[in-house]
Amino acid sequence: MNIRLDNLTVNFDDRFQLEEVNWQLDDSQHWVVTGANGSGKSALAAVLASAGENLSGNIDGIPAKVGLVSFEAQAELIEAELKKDDADIMDVIAEGTPVHEILNPGDSNQQLIDELVEKFQLQALVNRAFRKLSTGESRKVMLIRALASEPDLLVLDEPFDGLDAHTLEMLQAYLATLVETVPMVMVLNRFDEFPDFITHIAYVDNGRLQHRIDRNDTKAYNELYQLLHLKTTDLAVPAADPETAIPKLDPTQPLVKLNSINITYDGHRIIDSLDWTIERNQHWQLSGPNGSGKTGLLSLITGDHPQCYVNDIFVFGFQRGSGESIWQIKQFIGYVSTALQWEYKVGTGLRNVIISGFYDSIGLYTKATDRQKKIADEWLALLGMSDRADTPFNKLSYGDQRLLLIARAMVKHPPLLILDEPCLGLDDMNRQLVLALIEKICAGSETSVLYVNHHPEDQIKGIENYLALEKREPDNN
Amino acid sequence: MPNNYFNTLPLREQLEQLAKCRFMDISEFPDGVEALKGKKIVVIGCGAQGLAQGMNLRDSGCDVSYTLRAAAIAEKRQSWKSATENGFVVGTYEELIPTADVVLNLTPDKQHTPVVTAVMPLMKQGACLSYSHGFNIVEEGMKIREDLTVIMVAPKCPGSEVRNEYVRGFGVPTLIAVHEDNDPKGEGLALAKAYAVGTGGHKAGVLMSSFIAEVKSDLMGEQTILCGMLQTGSLLCFDKMVEEGIDAGYASKLIQFGWETVTEALKYGGVTNMLDRLSNPAKIKAFDLSEELKLIMRPLYNKHQDDIINGTFSRTMMADWANDDVNLLGWRAETAETAFEKTPAGDVEISEQEYFDNGILMVAMVKAGVELAFETMTAAGIIADSAYYESLHETPLIANTIARKKLYEMNATISDTAEYGCYLYNHACLPLLADFMKDIKTDVIGKGLDLEDTGVDNARLIEVNAALRAHPVEAIGTTLRGHMADMKKIV
Repeated sequence: MNIRLDNLTVNFDDRFQLEEVNWQLDDSQHWVVTGANGSGKSALAAVLASAGENLSGNIDGIPAKVGLVSFEAQAELIEAELKKDDADIMDVIAEGTPVHEILNPGDSNQQLIDELVEKFQLQALVNRAFRKLSTGESRKVMLIRALASEPDLLVLDEPFDGLDAHTLEMLQAYLATLVETVPMVMVLNRFDEFPDFITHIAYVDNGRLQHRIDRNDTKAYNELYQLLHLKTTDLAVPAADPETAIPKLDPTQPLVKLNSINITYDGHRIIDSLDWTIERNQHWQLSGPNGSGKTGLLSLITGDHPQCYVNDIFVFGFQRGSGESIWQIKQFIGYVSTALQWEYKVGTGLRNVIISGFYDSIGLYTKATDRQKKIADEWLALLGMSDRADTPFNKLSYGDQRLLLIARAMVKHPPLLILDEPCLGLDDMNRQLVLALIEKICAGSETSVLYVNHHPEDQIKGIENYLALEKREPDNN
Repeated sequence: MPNNYFNTLPLREQLEQLAKCRFMDISEFPDGVEALKGKKIVVIGCGAQGLAQGMNLRDSGCDVSYTLRAAAIAEKRQSWKSATENGFVVGTYEELIPTADVVLNLTPDKQHTPVVTAVMPLMKQGACLSYSHGFNIVEEGMKIREDLTVIMVAPKCPGSEVRNEYVRGFGVPTLIAVHEDNDPKGEGLALAKAYAVGTGGHKAGVLMSSFIAEVKSDLMGEQTILCGMLQTGSLLCFDKMVEEGIDAGYASKLIQFGWETVTEALKYGGVTNMLDRLSNPAKIKAFDLSEELKLIMRPLYNKHQDDIINGTFSRTMMADWANDDVNLLGWRAETAETAFEKTPAGDVEISEQEYFDNGILMVAMVKAGVELAFETMTAAGIIADSAYYESLHETPLIANTIARKKLYEMNATISDTAEYGCYLYNHACLPLLADFMKDIKTDVIGKGLDLEDTGVDNARLIEVNAALRAHPVEAIGTTLRGHMADMKKIV
């Protein structure tokens, strides 16, 4: 068996669409399909059992006999049973189809069915009407039916859901004995439920098959784990620390007001007479080609650019150059950039890296309070890094470092969060991780986001203001 | 030439000034930069140290501008570029000094006399003049107008570090002092403290010292253990390894990065920890070698300290200044021509532990140098805290410059004064160690001990460990590193 999906777009009753799926499965492989709720993972699995309407693209190699277990299939069967009842015009009490008939629609291996009924401890129910079973019981029936049909492909959508521990263990062990006989595709939500024999993982998001991962690729596997965690966790963005709260800003004033700004290097003017105001609760996207002065402009706001003292800059209630310190400015800003990541070359533990966000320092030079530690631990839990609180920052992968720096920037809930190309240098998986975290932040706080990016695919929901810089040629002076 | 200031003081006061040094608690800086608020700060000179301090002060909310010599401005020299590109107002002495409430003299020692002579008449009545090194006051006996307050704020790191640490939200250890002869309004200490806060120094630890203690200990440390010993050790160890047939590239690398690696251990846990990184037999070997080295070198350390205390050193160096730096430039050229300097580090992998195992002699040299410098300074009346900072504490910083670009980088980074003293030491120390080096083989430098079994005599090991831990530099080191750890990076 070699199944091949090429650019396949499938429609499901106009409710849902899988788009441009490219996927190859061969019979030596066992896949898990995973993703957040509503991502389309069940739909993708169902496509292998010929569900949905192909709009474009090709699907080849679907075997004749596919054993499918899913909530949808279970629901359909129950629905069908109920309809039979409705359709019964005779004045007798309809019992519905007994379980043993459901288990063997005709040509299944009866000996195997009996064996499985025993394994699932359903002996007492074989003569009962299928529609009278509990959800868990009918699920077991579905499983036995699929297994006993001796399929060429087994598609199991959340097969472990609702099973008691004993049955779960039994089923996992049983499936393991089928590894050489039948290729399996399982839809699973929890990494800890992935059976050992799984060889590949498919990750679905937003109706698209985003990642196909070989399980032996530990790095990708771990990143996927994290991505799924961020997408599915109920954890919210941790609150700020009331003890180290940022001073209140005058609500009538803008966060940032730049008047006729210039930035000049070696006599070449990079930014010329720019005006820009960022009001409270506005989200902005700043774009422009390399060398157009994006980072320079941001560092005028953060106070890292020495020319902030020769420009007319009003930030967070301070006119720059009037005796304020940069620490008074920085307390209102969370900042993430590749440059910061390069500078953050410290062996500080992850918890302390997050806490350093309260002090705007690279490294932590102050004893943290218990409350700060607790907040940092909540962030680590959100990121799925609770077990690494004391791991040195420089031992993290590049993508994880970025996530952690975003948490560091947000830990104090600043009025302005500056994300300077937060996806730069990240592979696809890590980019999605970062974007998932940023969306979570945007949704869960009152922080204004200033997002610098020039990749249209890295859009963030909720940004409504745009500033585009152009590169000035040297003769424009 | 005016009198050496230190030599004009009675012994009682000399001793009192030498003994000044106290580690200040961060709680002693509750007023932040308040004492400098609304005051106009003018920095003279815009080299690495000048630029870094000025940027830090400005970012701390102070009003900072730069004054340069008219020629530097007219010719748009590097100092002018650095200041203007960073958005500072730059003007001549005549333009800016009369407006200044605080003048920071951040020019090299050598220029202090002409610079201070030029700016003093231009300074406002009652203004403050600040130094980063007390040489001009202490050794050259510069007399400052009576109405002016004279302070010193000396970050104990190169300018680049001063800026980088500030940007990270930290700072570098900083020494402050008030010249008591020039504190007419009694505001010297408040200004020095505010200045240390403005550069971020208070976060990393501030030492309250005196001009005299700073000069006499700084000179001693830099010319003996910090630069002199590392230079002499580099040259001797390299030549010995090559002579014994060790690959020159390997030898070059072992030394260039070895100082940094072994002194990193020193930074964390003093001489004891540095030696604890060796196997037991190697530790005993290093201990014995260092005892021998201390015996041979002690008269040289004493001579350096004596010449520094009585002014011979500064007089000799100033004579070279007057003679167009003939000696300094000659020695600098000579260093560039040494075999170690001219042999690039080989493309070989050396593990962290291997630097210890194959560099037993280097460990012994660092131990001997640190202990001798500390012992000599404290014997001369310098308090243990000062002596610790000017010996053990700064050794890893200097070793780091050698790792970057060998002796050239070290001598380019340190002050001319330190460089001059370093060469003086090297010239005396090389012949002094000639006989000692004859008996040195690759077991202590280059290859490591070749032992079938690493057993040692218990009694001897106990003796060595006890001696290591009992040295006074270890006692004060433990205390000061404890203070620092409270403030320093929580790593």
